[in-house]
Amino acid sequence: MDFFAAYRDGLLADDYHRVPALLTGLDPAELARAGRLLANLAVDDTQATVVRVAITGHGTLSPLVPSLTAEVARHGLLLRPTVGDFGGYLTELSDPDSELYRAEAEITLCVLDAGIIFDEVPVPWRPADVRAVLDEKLAFLDKLASIFEANSKGTLVLNTLPLPHRLSAQLVDHQSRAELGALWREANARLLRFGEQHPGVLVVDLDPLLAEGIPVEDPRMAVYAKMHLSTELLARYAREIGHLARNTAGRTKKCLVLDLDGTVWGGILGEDGHDGVEVAETHHGEAFRAFQRVVKQIGAQGVLLAVVSKNDLEPVRRALTENPQMTLSENDFVRIIANWQPKHDNLKQLAADLNLGVDAFTFVDDSTLECGLVREELPGVAVLPVTGDPALHVGTLLADGWFDVRELTVEDRARVDKYREDLSRKDFLDNFDSIEQYLAELGVRVRFAPATEKELPRVSQLSLRTNQFNLTTRRLQLPEVRELADDPAWHVLAIRSSDRFGDNGLVGVIFGRRENDALHLENFILSCRVFSRGIEQACLSALLHHAREHGLTEVFGSYRPTAKNGKVADFYRRYGFTTLPGSDDGVTRFRHDLGELTEAPAHVDLDFGGTLQ
Amino acid sequence: MNTVDDLVTLVRDELGLPVTTSDAGRSLDELPGWDSVYLLWLLTVVEKKTGRPVSLPDLLEAGSLSDVYSLVAA
Repeated sequence: MDFFAAYRDGLLADDYHRVPALLTGLDPAELARAGRLLANLAVDDTQATVVRVAITGHGTLSPLVPSLTAEVARHGLLLRPTVGDFGGYLTELSDPDSELYRAEAEITLCVLDAGIIFDEVPVPWRPADVRAVLDEKLAFLDKLASIFEANSKGTLVLNTLPLPHRLSAQLVDHQSRAELGALWREANARLLRFGEQHPGVLVVDLDPLLAEGIPVEDPRMAVYAKMHLSTELLARYAREIGHLARNTAGRTKKCLVLDLDGTVWGGILGEDGHDGVEVAETHHGEAFRAFQRVVKQIGAQGVLLAVVSKNDLEPVRRALTENPQMTLSENDFVRIIANWQPKHDNLKQLAADLNLGVDAFTFVDDSTLECGLVREELPGVAVLPVTGDPALHVGTLLADGWFDVRELTVEDRARVDKYREDLSRKDFLDNFDSIEQYLAELGVRVRFAPATEKELPRVSQLSLRTNQFNLTTRRLQLPEVRELADDPAWHVLAIRSSDRFGDNGLVGVIFGRRENDALHLENFILSCRVFSRGIEQACLSALLHHAREHGLTEVFGSYRPTAKNGKVADFYRRYGFTTLPGSDDGVTRFRHDLGELTEAPAHVDLDFGGTLQ
Repeated sequence: MNTVDDLVTLVRDELGLPVTTSDAGRSLDELPGWDSVYLLWLLTVVEKKTGRPVSLPDLLEAGSLSDVYSLVAA
């Protein structure tokens, strides 16, 4: 069934989880139509993760709502938009009591266009007039960004100002035209640097989007309807915001899984041999080389790379290690699965090995059949069919920002090595008869301390990425984490661990709030990579002992269920907390009277200096 | 686009508004869920369907779907 048939039959509102699959493959015009229909559909909040987006800016922006509705729906999210008044961004962003702030949106869009400058440039004008307005507007936007950061926990999204030809062409001499171009780009560069000063602000660069061949504006819409950016550009911008919303909802993909023959190289390994596949120098070879370079580039930024391919393992190894023209090497991959099993079974096994959900995977294959099978069997996997010319593989891989994050952390760059170490731990585990014996030999060391300024980006990232061991799944962007870390009533405690195989880095965090003689554990997060090693018990035990030593009389914990965190539903009860009577907000609350305390497991070497003084 | 019914169908299919032919003569503001921005969508969709340009300022003045149809069919 296609999207429009499902819509006509009235199936979508109650079956919203089917929407992402139904939107797959729609062309931009169909997607726009689907967005308009979805935007008018009454969908209950319980049907999907809600993302609240407030929209303000210059000019008519209403067309943005259907586009955004469709783009976030592609990622299984449900848009709850708040649209400001026409052209009202100045007042709305400067008034902390405006509807825009009251919406408490995760993402606030302030859509800018050249009109914010040229509305105020006199006629006739010279480049110097434009410069004056640019300076003034940028200073003002800077102020608005500060007000926003002081009054909202969400992210403010600005964008660079496109310069339409109808403006630059009004200067008849090339010298002035060049000067305007330079001034304009300098202003956009300053805008792009806003994020350095304002961690709560993110600036979308529209130039790369326009370079795809999208018109900046439609003259009739601009003049008659005050719609200063074209529908196509707004839709393209909405796609970028969709990626941001996915990240905000903790759904960034973590692992890129590749097929080999026809995807990573040309030819068939089984027939052409490890040094006969096309990976360079021929026309097709160059296309595959370009693709491999992009894969390697993505892998270097913390995305796990893996292979799931119908091949024999040995020739694959040889191709990746012995073919001198190969760009990717065996070491770039955290796991290579080459066998003749169904790919969905292999993907499930890979997910289990890496302790990830299959919905953390993006899977690339040149076979329509294989893509269809994986889509059918594992709907959570993002399937990218690269069925055509290999020169188009790169575009397909990058079109949807599957791996986009707000900021890279030190841990990201070392992630592949860490997962590799984890796999060694698994092998090590296989040598022991009991888990206790294994843990005793593993030599787990844990450092548990208030998070330092440098650790805050990783703390935020853990809250955004971690799904399974996340007691309340409250997602926190960096500015929110910083605010809590600066608040004397709060404790943001970072957990680092290491063992005989290496350093795991920052793997967990506890958010605690002190209130009189009570400590409220507002969240407890632990990376799935270090489950089942007693780390959580050691930290909780240390914190409870410490709380008692400092005269506290009770510690509270909460659990808010999500689709992913069922395995920690019993966490607090397991360690001596009693369940408090239920409330109607879906959150289960627990209390520990600090009487009988759980002890840290003997195999964990814990370093905790305390924090509640 | 040969009759006003075609336009009404288009509005239903493209914008998801529950309109029928009997709504064609009603003021646009009275249509359930109507938003002035829908005229912008209609312009794009109608021009694509008919391959002919429609005057946007005239469209923005239209008071009912019948008015819109007269403009499109002109």
